[in-house]
Amino acid sequence: MVSARLESLPVIALLAAIGLFLCSLANALSRATLAPSPLIYWLGVLVIALPIFFRLSSTEPSRRERLGLVLLLGLALYCVKVVHDGIFFTLSDEYVHAFNVHNIEQYNHLYHFNPGIRTTPYYPGLEGATSALTMLTGTSIYVSGTILVGAARLVFVAALFFLFARLSGSARGAGLGVAVYAGTTNFLFWGAQFSYESLSLPLVVVVLMAFVEREEAPAEARGAWAVPMVLGILAITITHHLSSYALAAILVALAVLYRVMKVEKPNPWPFALLAVAAAVGWLLIAARSTTGYLFPVLEEAVKAIWKTAAGESAPRTLFHQASSSAETVASTPLAARAVALLAVAVLAAGAFFGLRELWRRKRREPLVLVFCAGAVAFFAALTLRFAPAAWETGNRAGSYFFIGLAFVCIYGAAELLRRGSKPMRQRLLLSGALGIVLVGGAISGWPWDIQLARPLQASADGRDIDSEPLALAEFARERLDGSRFAAPGSDARLLLTPGNQIVYAGQGPDIEDIVDGTELESWQLPLLRENHLPFVVADRRLISEDTLRGEFFAVKDQYGTALREPAVIHKFARIPAGRVWHSGRIVLLNLKDRP
Amino acid sequence: MRGHRDLRLACAAAVLCALVAALVPLEIVRLIAALPLALFLPGYAVVAVAFGSRELEQEKQLMLSVAVSLMILVLGTFVLNIFPFGLTTGSWAVLLAVIVIAACRGAALRRARPTAGKKRGSRSRPSLPAVAIGAVALAIAVAAIALAQRPLPADDAVGFTALWMLPTDSSEDAVAVGVVSNQHHRTSYQLEVSPGKSQSQSYRVQLDPGEERVFEIDVPSEADGRTHVVATLYRTLRPGEPYRRVTSWLPRQKTLP
Repeated sequence: MVSARLESLPVIALLAAIGLFLCSLANALSRATLAPSPLIYWLGVLVIALPIFFRLSSTEPSRRERLGLVLLLGLALYCVKVVHDGIFFTLSDEYVHAFNVHNIEQYNHLYHFNPGIRTTPYYPGLEGATSALTMLTGTSIYVSGTILVGAARLVFVAALFFLFARLSGSARGAGLGVAVYAGTTNFLFWGAQFSYESLSLPLVVVVLMAFVEREEAPAEARGAWAVPMVLGILAITITHHLSSYALAAILVALAVLYRVMKVEKPNPWPFALLAVAAAVGWLLIAARSTTGYLFPVLEEAVKAIWKTAAGESAPRTLFHQASSSAETVASTPLAARAVALLAVAVLAAGAFFGLRELWRRKRREPLVLVFCAGAVAFFAALTLRFAPAAWETGNRAGSYFFIGLAFVCIYGAAELLRRGSKPMRQRLLLSGALGIVLVGGAISGWPWDIQLARPLQASADGRDIDSEPLALAEFARERLDGSRFAAPGSDARLLLTPGNQIVYAGQGPDIEDIVDGTELESWQLPLLRENHLPFVVADRRLISEDTLRGEFFAVKDQYGTALREPAVIHKFARIPAGRVWHSGRIVLLNLKDRP
Repeated sequence: MRGHRDLRLACAAAVLCALVAALVPLEIVRLIAALPLALFLPGYAVVAVAFGSRELEQEKQLMLSVAVSLMILVLGTFVLNIFPFGLTTGSWAVLLAVIVIAACRGAALRRARPTAGKKRGSRSRPSLPAVAIGAVALAIAVAAIALAQRPLPADDAVGFTALWMLPTDSSEDAVAVGVVSNQHHRTSYQLEVSPGKSQSQSYRVQLDPGEERVFEIDVPSEADGRTHVVATLYRTLRPGEPYRRVTSWLPRQKTLP
């Protein structure tokens, strides 16, 4: 009786709220520079998830309760990212997409230039939808974006639940499948950020769910399910390049399998054709810059794999944090690495038993075969983590492959629950395994040293104070209306949003060497002139190029205090250029301001 | 739409929400009105017209309503961009309301005439303790989010003070010099501004954390070229050591070097 009450949905929701509060507390202590134990945070994550996993493993809950549980899981884990943020977007791509929303609000039209990631204005689905909310509600881009991605997250877990339930024929299995999916490396942070994939991936799952529902529907109802499929394919096409290509690939694979396996249901080739035509058409008509953005990354990934495999370059060290600065970054502790590796082992075991069971029972179903291929591809993609320039490609592809893996693992979980004579023990074992997958995935997917929030703003004597890059961005927003800047990566992100300036950074064109170098070389001023960039940010902070860590306050004895040579700033005295803003380590120069 | 209460309600709600979102200045009221208009009603109406009289499980209908609403927002962006007025509060409000009304009208035509006396399935109501626990859970979640939105004292965060200088207007015959403190405690400074060959001006500045002081200084034009303006900030405790310095040559050049 007591056990039944403890497993009721309200109690589980209460535990999830307590877990969320623990996460928020750990982040708050971290923002207060008190260096809290990360255990508080991980305990919070587990307090959210474990009761849900345990209840999902039971035979008792109704289908509706299971849906409620997966929605609770999706929402609570999304809120873990929200309480990490505070009142600003702080993940590197978020600034870029928020700038697109700002441009839509300012000009009332799409496709305005974004120097952050130049291809993003040509995939305006997320930003356009967010602009609808900002305009209709009057709230900030942060609030509207957070609500929109939150809605997409709820749609994601619900659609995944319906998809798995229809394919497996089991609501219990579907709930467990969603629980497994929460362990994908990008679920907690990267996939929850204000970025186009956070909207497009849920829509991909909706299209797949509508596809399986259409398959099972009577002939006269198939047209109804085609509506969300067609709308979804078109919406994904103008939201995110990779998602549209992934969806097209899945639908083409299904069309081929239907033909080869002589499936007695309507072949989905019209949807495959639409997806391919829409993706290719959009690429050729509106988003040609995508080829210049995407394909070099893929090319580099392929080269890196080849070089690593041939022994020409050293493999990437796992759990080595990819800070682009030379400042030392806290490494992942041994215990955390062990959990991450254990998570992979748990998934491998689940996949092994799942694939065996699926081969016996469902190998005549095309989508099941596609999912099985996805599960295998997930483990193949893990090897990309050993190639320095390919690990990100592998990590991003993992979000798609993991859908297949989560489905396969449903059958692995069912195998575990069937074995043994003590159901309670089996349920505890399964919940523990899911907990390891969740925490292990989160450890693999996000650098250890920034799992907890860093201070972007702080309070002092009852008033708010800003970090140096944020203060510069606020100054630019208030005093320099839409000016053009060259800046290190982290300063550039904040100058885009909330600064609302046009900011060039990185290596295309090579701004990085101009702002980080200690000497002004002959090619640099012509390049600034060619790109019409009068304002230059000279930043002595070694962390300034790090777009995940460079936006925050430096903290004594912890991070952000290492400096470059003073010549990074003083080299501009050769011109000489006027100094507009000076905060000690950051100087804003105006190259038009000179004798 | 006679007999289809849900469709009539959806239409009325869409019109009301669109009017409130477009006309009411209060943010919270607009938020309450705009969320269903943007994230539920368009999808509900389109799903209704797609499925006509066919039964759709309630949970799936809800999920599809939100999902299709998101798709409509994405595609609506593309549609509104074609028109000269583009994406505005008014165009979004009108577009979404029109989609809801048109789709509801279509759904009413596709649906069979409603049969009188159709009974709804019995729905269990949550118990009082369940509601109470749910309310506590919600309160804790809200507290967690509120805690995240609050800047906190961070004594080990390295504070700083910034100095800036810009011409006050396009004529560039005066500059605004600002000092903004992002220190943890009240701090005192001496600000010196030398506008070219003119007498330099000195100011004592005491700033609380987060406080900014701005000074306007006239810049006399010089016959032999541009006026070099230098503003230097000194800490009161270290008067001989420049702490921040900004410079300008006025009027500024029109081109880059």
